[in-house]
Amino acid sequence: MFGIAKTADSAADFLKEFGIAEEHLSENLKMLAQTNSRYLRDVKINVNNSLQAVTLVKKEAYLIALAVSVNEKNEALKQAFIASARVEGATDEELAEVISCTSLLSANNVYYRFRHFMKDEYYTNAQAGIRMSIMANPVLGKEFFELMSLVVSALNGCELCVTSHEKALLGHATNKQRIHDAVRLGAVIRSLSVLF
Amino acid sequence: MKNVVLSIGSQFPDFNKKAVVSTEKGKEFYDLTGQEIRASGKWMVMFWWPKDFTFVCPTEIAEFNNHYQDFEDRDAILIGASTDSEFVHAAWRRDHEDLRGLKFPMLADTSKTLAEELGILEANEKVAYRATFIVDPEGVIRWVSLYDLNVGRNVKEVLRVLDALQTDELCPCNWQKGEATLVA
Repeated sequence: MFGIAKTADSAADFLKEFGIAEEHLSENLKMLAQTNSRYLRDVKINVNNSLQAVTLVKKEAYLIALAVSVNEKNEALKQAFIASARVEGATDEELAEVISCTSLLSANNVYYRFRHFMKDEYYTNAQAGIRMSIMANPVLGKEFFELMSLVVSALNGCELCVTSHEKALLGHATNKQRIHDAVRLGAVIRSLSVLF
Repeated sequence: MKNVVLSIGSQFPDFNKKAVVSTEKGKEFYDLTGQEIRASGKWMVMFWWPKDFTFVCPTEIAEFNNHYQDFEDRDAILIGASTDSEFVHAAWRRDHEDLRGLKFPMLADTSKTLAEELGILEANEKVAYRATFIVDPEGVIRWVSLYDLNVGRNVKEVLRVLDALQTDELCPCNWQKGEATLVA
């Protein structure tokens, strides 16, 4: 066309956009970049728009993205989002709490999903016996801890956990738009994580 | 003067204008046509400013340029325009540090015919208001914003609108019960 500028469409540029080291360049990304995939651009837009949701401050957005990366066991994304969260002022304690919360949810999502599947009186009344002391006084605050728990539960597909955490959030007077934006961010980061 | 701005749903007028696309000698100018843009099958975002060599303009233009890749990612062709001539555009681009690296073409509506057809000429000086048009691949205007001469624009808002216009809910998960009967 006209003297149009060369644009950044390569897989390396894609990684750079999210602060991911080039050593993590995956086969998936290479294949998409080679075919000038429209999808690669869609993912980039989806991720950036979700990270910039106005109901989430930047640090919160990166911490939720971190929780998703931990949940999906994605080392490349985890490092990138830890770095971004630190730039926004996240402390070691807060980062550790995100990791702990995600890990705990891995247990809870399986356990409570089982209860919900069974709808059996015995299982429903049995004592869970899973320690959850980190829920008591989270350094990130109860509301954000709930929000993060909701996102991870949505990823892991536990209906009982999702409905419970959503209800708890409404109890904290959390705006539904914020809940929506957090879940969308989780969904989109997961779509990013499968490309590695 | 009665100013009727061409609005949503109208066909964007056809045009054939000189544009500045580079600061490199011999490669500065290009004949830009509406036809070529439509043939590309892409969206078009055209933003106007009143005068070259004024103060608010370069900041705003540089901001559009910073987001050039974002428009490209959204399959949109970005064009800047004013009623200055191509020679003024070229001189300004060479002169101003923030404008040397511009990636989009600067359209010269020297005869003011396009600005006139769009209805964005200010009455006294006959310069363009800070108008922004989003035009879809069929050449239909889908969004217009019009700011007074001294009010700068928010490029992120333009991108947000473009996203909203382009995000067709294609996934069947979004189909609502009874919607099919409402559409027809």
